[in-house]
Amino acid sequence: MGFYILSYLCIAVFALATLYRIYRQMTMPVHVRWEIYPVQHETSAKVAYGGSYMEEIDWWEKKQEKSLLGELLYMVPEILFIRGLWKENRGLWWVSFPFHFGLYMMIATVILLLGHAGFTLWGSTVFSAGSTLRTLLDGFIAVMGWGGLILGNIGSLGLLYRRWTDAELRNYSSPVDYFNLLFILLFFLSALVSCLSGDPFLEGAKAYVMGLLTGGHPLNAHVPGRSISGIVAIVSASLLVAYIPLTHMSHMFMKYFLYHNVKWDDAPNRRGGGIEAAVRKNLNLRPTWGAKHVGADGQKTWLDIASSAPTEEKK
Amino acid sequence: MNKPLNPSDLARPSECLCHIEPGELPPLPPPYEDFNQTAIPPLKPDKIKNIEASLDDTVAIGIPKPANKQEEEELVRRFLAGLQKLFEKNNNWTFLQPLMLSMEHCAKCQTCSDACPIYEMSGKKDIHRPMFRAEVLRRIYNKYLKPGGKITAKFTGDIDLNWTTIARLAELSYRCTLCRRCATVCPIGVDNGLINHEIRKLFSQEMGIAPKEIHDKGTVQHLRVGSTTGMTPAAAKDSMEFIQEEMEEITGSKVEVPWDVEGADILLLHNAGEMLAWPENVGAFAIIFQAAGLSWTLSSEAAGYDAVNYGLWYDDVQFSRVAVRHADIARRLKVKKIVVGECGHAHKALTVIADRLLTGDLNIPRESAMVTLEEIVLKGKIKLNPSRNNFPVTLHDPCNIVRAMGIVEPQRRILRKIAPKFREMTPHGVMNYCCGGGSGFAIMSGYNFAEWRNLVSSRKKFLQILEAFKDEPREVPKYVCAPCSNCKGAIRDIIGYYSAEERSRLYYGGLVELIVNAMADMKKPMIRFGDEPSWTS
Ligand code: SF4
Ligand code: SF4
Repeated sequence: MGFYILSYLCIAVFALATLYRIYRQMTMPVHVRWEIYPVQHETSAKVAYGGSYMEEIDWWEKKQEKSLLGELLYMVPEILFIRGLWKENRGLWWVSFPFHFGLYMMIATVILLLGHAGFTLWGSTVFSAGSTLRTLLDGFIAVMGWGGLILGNIGSLGLLYRRWTDAELRNYSSPVDYFNLLFILLFFLSALVSCLSGDPFLEGAKAYVMGLLTGGHPLNAHVPGRSISGIVAIVSASLLVAYIPLTHMSHMFMKYFLYHNVKWDDAPNRRGGGIEAAVRKNLNLRPTWGAKHVGADGQKTWLDIASSAPTEEKK
Repeated sequence: MNKPLNPSDLARPSECLCHIEPGELPPLPPPYEDFNQTAIPPLKPDKIKNIEASLDDTVAIGIPKPANKQEEEELVRRFLAGLQKLFEKNNNWTFLQPLMLSMEHCAKCQTCSDACPIYEMSGKKDIHRPMFRAEVLRRIYNKYLKPGGKITAKFTGDIDLNWTTIARLAELSYRCTLCRRCATVCPIGVDNGLINHEIRKLFSQEMGIAPKEIHDKGTVQHLRVGSTTGMTPAAAKDSMEFIQEEMEEITGSKVEVPWDVEGADILLLHNAGEMLAWPENVGAFAIIFQAAGLSWTLSSEAAGYDAVNYGLWYDDVQFSRVAVRHADIARRLKVKKIVVGECGHAHKALTVIADRLLTGDLNIPRESAMVTLEEIVLKGKIKLNPSRNNFPVTLHDPCNIVRAMGIVEPQRRILRKIAPKFREMTPHGVMNYCCGGGSGFAIMSGYNFAEWRNLVSSRKKFLQILEAFKDEPREVPKYVCAPCSNCKGAIRDIIGYYSAEERSRLYYGGLVELIVNAMADMKKPMIRFGDEPSWTS
């Protein structure tokens, strides 16, 4: 039961940390525009060379053609295949891609395992032993799991090797960078050993996930006491789930905000619109910057300070 | 020698942390090989004895050394107070979200390094890696401002904080042109240019530390006198009168320069530096707008005839003050739109960054001159004879217009129409390289900074220009079209420094000069290559 408690705690930390990170982004004050082109929600003709709506005469009189689909079509392969690295740093991509894709495959495996457990609990005949659905899902789990473990092991070993041997990377790496990679390698390696030692269809993982769904009920729960590698895999996976959103490795999903909320945030401020209202709110904040020329005293607002020139800019 | 430097080395005592030896810079092709052994001229000991000058071979700010331990401690305390403020909503709502996202997610993969022209052209010196200064800031923040930071720093990356660290970091923030090429290639979307911008802000807004060319002679003078050039409204009008006369010699007819016309469609904002250094640019706009029959005006109000906004590079407060001034002038003139002339940073400042600052009737539509000019040239509003521009032309993309605004094609469509020998640089468009004069560098020349700029930060652009014209015979005059005052300044300096007019017959200028040069009813050419006119009738 201890393993389950650990897993639940880690999942709770993951959920809280992720929600907190996302909440923090959603509640940030509207910032000034700082987009960088190409902006992927532009029309495809403009995306091709990095153009913007500001290339149009009297652009403010026209409707901005914006395609969120364009963003997603760019973002999804970017996240899945790390296209940016493929283009700009191919050498590193060969190890970074298997590492990341291995992790994504593991996430997909967990989703499939949850599906498996869900169907089992449902108890319908469509998922009885030997049924097509079950055979298919078993197959997917095995392929996804093995694929993820192989890629993940190659990737984390490769990244460790690169970080250690490439002076350019080593010079900027701190102990925690190695720790993170070793931690992830520990999971991949232990899980691989576990599967290699007589569990090719990830039955242990299936049972464990089933146990997770049923609160560790003794009838369903899998106690990973049979092999050291199984214990290590479950403990390291649980801890990783909690650890990743607490570190810079959250870039796996926070990348969405870096792109969507900064690099591609080109929304113009229109009179009477939501951005204007948010900007007005910001202009009422009271800065405390200390340099003399700023003239902040903790009482004056940004509006006061920006209008502190002799003309009557204040509105 | 390339001795690896780690971010923590910034605190290390050394007379010169990062020295470039002669021959370490990437080689230039013939006929410029004689520059390959040129070193940055050493700083004069008497000039630097009281200032921080231990980062590298140059000095951008010249920060006075603290007189005693107490003063040093006070400076460290103020630095930390400023750093904290960067992460506070009331102090930094302008960039809080982008800053936090970039600070928290770097994977130290070094992909950005190879994209940075300064890193590459410095002979790959560590301190010029885009993430170097970001990592310094990150480490200081994590160690000195986060709870338990002194312990976690042992694992996450340590750094000592003393006056040397701080002063070097301030200097280092002026070794990056904020071109943001690094941000374009980062697979995660981290923007080291932005972090550098924030470092500059911390120093200016909290500690009053900034290069005098940008602050005292820049925004402060702009707000006080009306222009960073020191030009008063009366002087601006005088110089326009003189420019008008010069232009009339070219057109052979009267050139009107409308001032302060209430209700005009367009308020045209120029970088006032043009009036002094490149008067033909300002004149060419007048000729084109008049020929196209536009309703437009200039403003003779203080700051209204100078579009620059140096605040963009180092200080949000000064930035806001200048932007509000510009917008308010347009509001009172009741114009329909502001058109920003050939000044890249003014483009980005007023059109993009100030967009979320100007509210209500201060939010007057703003347009790039590239777009206005395209409408004129491509819609046939002026008569053209492109064969008059029958010389090789290449285009420099100002980062602020192209990468930061996505205005890429209008200027190209114009050039394809008026310059039969137009060719691109490689790479170009949103992947262009900075001229090396961005973020204030073009106007900074204290100590030996101008030499550093010509040898290091503008070197990539010089190589690109030479490459674009490599198939042209030496004796053929070549035109680098740079539709931005700052870029023109940097390119003028490269051409001068490397004697490229003599050696390669390189000339430079703006876009409007090329347009006027191709206008069919001009009496004289606008572009001359030294004494040689670009065409004869
Ligand atoms: S800023 Fe981006 S490209 Fe540069 S080291 Fe960090 S993650 Fe890599
Ligand atoms: S902004 Fe430009 S100059 Fe600065 S670090 Fe990035 S690439 Fe280099």
